[in-house]
Amino acid sequence: MAAAASPPTGAAVAGWTMVSVLLQVVGLCMFLYGFFPVKPTLPGFSGVESYRMPSCGSAGGGEEPALPPDQLRSLYRELSEVPPVYDRLVLMVIDGLPAEFVLGRDGKPPSKEMLESMPYTQSLLTGCKAAGYHAKAAPPTVTMPRLKAMVSGAIGGFLDVAFNFNTQAFLDDNLLDQLHMIGYKLVMLGDETWIKLFPTLFCRQDGVSSFYVKDTVEVDFNVSRHLEHELAAKDWNVLVLHYLGLDHVGHIGGRQSVLMPQKLKEMDDVIRRVHNAVSNLQDNLDKTLLVVVSDHGMTEGGNHGGSSCEETDSLALFIGHSVESSYCSPYDQNEALQVDLAPTLSLLFGTPIPKNNIGVLLPELFNSLTDDQKLRTFELNSLQFLRLLQAQLPAFCIEDCIDSKNGLGIDIFPGSVEKKLCHLLSEAFDSHHSSRLHQRSNFKSIEAGYYGNAVNAYNEFLRYASEWLSHRATNKPFYLLVSAISLMIISCLFLMGIVYCLFKGKSLSQVEHHSEWNLDKHWHLDEVFIIMGIFLYVISLGSSSFVEEEQYTWHYLTSTLYLIFLIKTTQSVLKESNSAAVGTERNVFYANNCSYVTSCKLIPSKRDGYKLCTVLFILISGRIIRAWHQGGVNWVHFSDISKSLAQADSSIVKALQLISVLAVVLLYSVSLLLLRPRKMNILIVWLSHLFCGILVVLHIWQSQINTSLPAEHSTTSIAQIFFVITSISVTFTFVASPWIFPIHSMEAESTSSGSNPKTAIHLQGINHSMFLTGITYAAFWCLLQLLLQQPINAIPLLLIFLQMISSIIHFSTDTSLHKKWVQIVAMQFLGLSGHFGLGNTNSLASIDVAGAFIGISSYSTVLSGILMFIITYGSPLLLYLGMVVYSSIISSDGISTTEQLKWSCILDKMITLPCLLPLLVNSIALTSYTIVLLFMRNHLFVWSVFSPKYLYVCAATVCTYAGVFVLAVTAVYIVIVLSFRMRNYRDKSI
Amino acid sequence: MVDEATQVSAFGAAAVHALCITGLTAADCFSGRGALVSDPAHALRLLVVFEAPLVIAVFSLLRRDPKRCSFLKAAARGLLGLPVGALLNAFGAIVLGAPVGIKYWTATTYWSLLMSLFTFVPAACVFGASKVNWQNVLSHSNYCRPTNAVDYMISAPAHGAVIGAWLGAWPMPLDWERTWQEWPICVTYGSVAGYLIGMAISLLLIVVTRKRRDRAKAD
Repeated sequence: MAAAASPPTGAAVAGWTMVSVLLQVVGLCMFLYGFFPVKPTLPGFSGVESYRMPSCGSAGGGEEPALPPDQLRSLYRELSEVPPVYDRLVLMVIDGLPAEFVLGRDGKPPSKEMLESMPYTQSLLTGCKAAGYHAKAAPPTVTMPRLKAMVSGAIGGFLDVAFNFNTQAFLDDNLLDQLHMIGYKLVMLGDETWIKLFPTLFCRQDGVSSFYVKDTVEVDFNVSRHLEHELAAKDWNVLVLHYLGLDHVGHIGGRQSVLMPQKLKEMDDVIRRVHNAVSNLQDNLDKTLLVVVSDHGMTEGGNHGGSSCEETDSLALFIGHSVESSYCSPYDQNEALQVDLAPTLSLLFGTPIPKNNIGVLLPELFNSLTDDQKLRTFELNSLQFLRLLQAQLPAFCIEDCIDSKNGLGIDIFPGSVEKKLCHLLSEAFDSHHSSRLHQRSNFKSIEAGYYGNAVNAYNEFLRYASEWLSHRATNKPFYLLVSAISLMIISCLFLMGIVYCLFKGKSLSQVEHHSEWNLDKHWHLDEVFIIMGIFLYVISLGSSSFVEEEQYTWHYLTSTLYLIFLIKTTQSVLKESNSAAVGTERNVFYANNCSYVTSCKLIPSKRDGYKLCTVLFILISGRIIRAWHQGGVNWVHFSDISKSLAQADSSIVKALQLISVLAVVLLYSVSLLLLRPRKMNILIVWLSHLFCGILVVLHIWQSQINTSLPAEHSTTSIAQIFFVITSISVTFTFVASPWIFPIHSMEAESTSSGSNPKTAIHLQGINHSMFLTGITYAAFWCLLQLLLQQPINAIPLLLIFLQMISSIIHFSTDTSLHKKWVQIVAMQFLGLSGHFGLGNTNSLASIDVAGAFIGISSYSTVLSGILMFIITYGSPLLLYLGMVVYSSIISSDGISTTEQLKWSCILDKMITLPCLLPLLVNSIALTSYTIVLLFMRNHLFVWSVFSPKYLYVCAATVCTYAGVFVLAVTAVYIVIVLSFRMRNYRDKSI
Repeated sequence: MVDEATQVSAFGAAAVHALCITGLTAADCFSGRGALVSDPAHALRLLVVFEAPLVIAVFSLLRRDPKRCSFLKAAARGLLGLPVGALLNAFGAIVLGAPVGIKYWTATTYWSLLMSLFTFVPAACVFGASKVNWQNVLSHSNYCRPTNAVDYMISAPAHGAVIGAWLGAWPMPLDWERTWQEWPICVTYGSVAGYLIGMAISLLLIVVTRKRRDRAKAD
């Protein structure tokens, strides 16, 4: 990654690093492809064959000729032996509505506020005109996979999340396509995800985008404005309404948002309007079913994506004639699965059940049918399951089951699952058969008994099979995964080998140059600790609880490392004061290595003070960051600073934000003042930074005013101006920094008395440029974060920035105290614990979606994705940018001879370790976690805990690459430009 | 650097450690079985009350320069060192993530006093304000080169207690929902276990160095 044209060692290191990074990328891609497959699904659509018993052996039947819709509909009706219960469907999706708001929890009605917010819905429930279910959604609880699950009855692959913002047409068998095939006309109003899933299905459609999360009013108005017209029109059979506003309310203010009751009232009003319009039509033959569902719930904070019970608690509410009954208890905890919607609606509307459905019909919806017809619906559901099971277990066959039950076949299926399925299914068919036989018996009680038996048997089979199918780990290509992992291991070993060779070479050269450094040969406490800490971290990845609570691990490791630094510093202070005589001698050595931050000549005692104070500051601010967000999954409800601030006056948060912006601007100014030759160009950069700071303040001001109003144009344009100015000034600094510092100056010549003056100036130029570029990167990055992050994160962000600066000061005051690699790893650790300090967790729910649309005026997947990445990985990237500043300090370390002054050599010194070590640490984490994931692939929590974490690990890898890339490119550019200028200068002077 | 007057035999060291262990077991017996889990503050208070006089007395006897420094002065140093060490330990614990709520205040205080008895007080009694000795105890390098037996007796159990407490904190974030996962119960278990292991190691080191020295003398 370093110099391409440097002498063998540098080039070799760069080459090998590139090779191992490439290997890692290839291995990662292979693993992702193998581990998150698009779930093997049965192709095609269910048709006439779904009403017959599947034959053994060949699963696929012959192709039936395509029939016109009307004929198909009557054919289905004839084959199914069950008349359709409804002709028209209104599917109303309320995005993010937790079932708790409507149905209460644990048998208790919802809170009074909620009851009052939805009076009409509640009156339907208590009047027994509606049946409500807690329809458990499968993780990931984000919209698109949930919609797919609802209409197809299948739980999609995990990577659907990744495609959530890039919806593509849905090609699997599903309810809407089935309805379309039998000639129903569909109308869609609301979230445009539906249009992306079904681009050609709807005869009328009006999509709204879900990407302006701050807008809570317009999105829903855009749906409701068509309502009157559509309800009056009679040409449609299926009307899909998808309201997004409630989800947006949740994203902005959480469950307890002040906007929530208002939004619920609006939804209740829509339900009332639709139900009234539909009931008036009841006189003719058209029977309409109104289904109110939500795609997922939300956490207390209004986020979703994970698998907590708050997020998976989605609603399924059915309003129609078949659920009406004389007696009901509406607030009983009626549990169902979200996928149950698909078979239930299919059977109610007389279409075949979608092929990949794993849902079970909800029998309460079929109350208007006779017992025999009800059993037939169960049978149809079972037949569909049977086909799916045959696809999963090729040997599974119902005839063999019956045979084995009669004692003919013995142990055809050695696996217990097959046996159990077999047993349950044959039991169900048997009891259905006997119920049919006794149908004409005169005793009602006997008939009811047989019917009850059959229903129970079917239910048992369906539930068991559904559970098994949903938990069944998808067939993963094991060899592909293993080869992917071995590639990653090889890449990891390469990196380790490079680092080992570097250290070996370095220790040799050190022995040559500084015989006094022999002492450093044996291991120090901090070095042992880092290796042990990484080892412990790798072990902790194997436990789901530690993965959920990773913030503790990182904070613990980082604080311990800095405590060890504190002990070492104390020790060195003690030692120095013991041997004060030696100190004077050493001063010369220090004077050369002093950085800008401490370039003012420090007397030893003051330097000791700095050394101690910086470490103490890092420790204490680390503890504050830890206390800011409780984080994690299990103890997330514990009180923390962010929660108490959220309850407090919003002006406090605003004040904290302003303080952070001020502090960042101030720190940047101070560090620019430390640069010796002050130039106009630096002033320009400083002014632009100041201006950006003002823009951030303005943005904070504006968004504070408009929390309740939809996204205003002014905030967007402020953010856009900010983006433009930031990118211009950062690019300007990057390009100009090596050109503005003098390569010849009187001052430098006088100070560097001993060594070659040209050497000193050259090095100084490099250091100055690196420092200027690095600190500019970091300061602008901080402002960007302050703009994008949630307001509550302002202080943690500032603290992380201060921690970074303190670390650099600490490391530069005494470069020999800790080894270079320890310093680099310590900075990386800081970044990782800061990542969790900004409220990130290993669940997808904590990703800040609202921030990803700041300053974006038109929807763009790429842009908002990048912003989301910037927000989530703000802290590690900040520390990588800090390493640019840091490398300006270490570059001068140990360069003594002119022979070493070749630019490749400086470059080697400056960036080899800062580039390699983050890559190595990340590679260790990635590789070990991949191995963990392979072992855990059948774990219960694989989709809820381990897989989301894996996405984070992958993103962290990308983040490492980005950070290392910026560091390498900056250093290479600066060094090359300065060498070029040196050569020119030398040529001229000669 | 080795002071002949304070050389301790392996037997003496074992006796000192046995005394300290007696203090711990006595406190444990007195507070009753499982008291640390049910009422950590109470149990820790008993541990401190029983352990403090023993540790201070024993290590004051082992003070570095018995001619210039009386027993009482050493004991006073130990008494002064108790709160200072407790402050340092509490700082370390809080920085590493120990809860700071009022609910935990008493438990944290007693825990840090106990940790101070394990780590800081013996050194304070023996060394006083001698910088060189403190520096030796702080660094781990004194295991490599032959040193005074008292150094081992101070540093090995102290390091053991700290490492034990550090390791003892690992189960705390797990969702096993056991009462012993609360701060500072498992950390105390860890530190006591580490303390005991450290004592064993110090005895072992004393015996080994003694043998090595004897062999050197014989040569």
